[in-house]
Amino acid sequence: MVLFLLLGFALAQEVRVVEGWVRYPATLAVTAAYLTLENLGDAPLRLVGAEAAWAERVELHGTFHQEKDGKMVMGMRPVDFAEVPPKGRLVLKPGGYHLMLFNLRRPLKLGERVELVLKFQNGTQLKVRLPVEER
Amino acid sequence: MRRLWLPLALLALLGVAYLFLPKGHSFHGTRLMNPKPVDFTLEGPKGPVRLADLGEVVLLFFGYVHCPDVCPTTLLALKRAYEGLSPAEQARVRVVFVSVDPERDSPEVADRYAKNFHPSFLGLSGSPEAIQEVAQRFGVYYQKTQYRGPGEYLVDHTATTFVVRGGRLVLLFSPEKVEATDKVVADLRALL
Repeated sequence: MVLFLLLGFALAQEVRVVEGWVRYPATLAVTAAYLTLENLGDAPLRLVGAEAAWAERVELHGTFHQEKDGKMVMGMRPVDFAEVPPKGRLVLKPGGYHLMLFNLRRPLKLGERVELVLKFQNGTQLKVRLPVEER
Repeated sequence: MRRLWLPLALLALLGVAYLFLPKGHSFHGTRLMNPKPVDFTLEGPKGPVRLADLGEVVLLFFGYVHCPDVCPTTLLALKRAYEGLSPAEQARVRVVFVSVDPERDSPEVADRYAKNFHPSFLGLSGSPEAIQEVAQRFGVYYQKTQYRGPGEYLVDHTATTFVVRGGRLVLLFSPEKVEATDKVVADLRALL
């Protein structure tokens, strides 16, 4: 049991958040979180989602561009995972991957820091505090 | 040889002078060669709003309030560009958000959303038919997707920013181009 806990802790240390932010302005309906993850380990890590006490639901989404009827169209879709390569980085940024937060339980204030728990496919959880920023 | 010297010197002078001539502005956005007249009336928070009444230069962006990535990215870019203008220039420019999700976005909701980005921004909505007609006129595609229940879905949509000047559609900014704030500001100045 102790070994198991230690293993979980060790795994958690293999990934870190380089930087990130939660987007302001945020409506109570939705906002997005962006961040850069660094995998310090030798195995790929798959980010599968997150949880936040201040939002009802969090989903990992990817934004796409597509031509439809000769018109450029943008949209987003839930994705099962996004991979952080070994000794590499995964960047969640506007126009790419983002964590979409639904039904906020309270309005966010510019400049405050909010907590998110990132979830990985191997069971690793990473608690992060991100600033609420207008960018 | 001496006879040649003077004309050559004059020619060189002309060449130097040419370098200092004011050049026409080279647009960063995509210019429309045959600017077509555009107008519409949609619903604002205080009643019907006609495009023609909104000012000299109007920047239109079609999106939806439940949009966390694409719409805020462009609206924040438009905010930066708007804030790059002088107060006198700002008075002649209007940034307008048009909802392509009239089912969830009432004119009040659309306007409150737009004003989250800048108090001078305006949000419009309307009946599904009216929105469809306006979107069609601007060549905007939009489609509900990922439907999970009443009021729970995503919307794919064209994310171009349309610039209307004096009632004519003159310039387009793609979501990538609109990010270059200094160039967008220069384009707007050239239109004012």
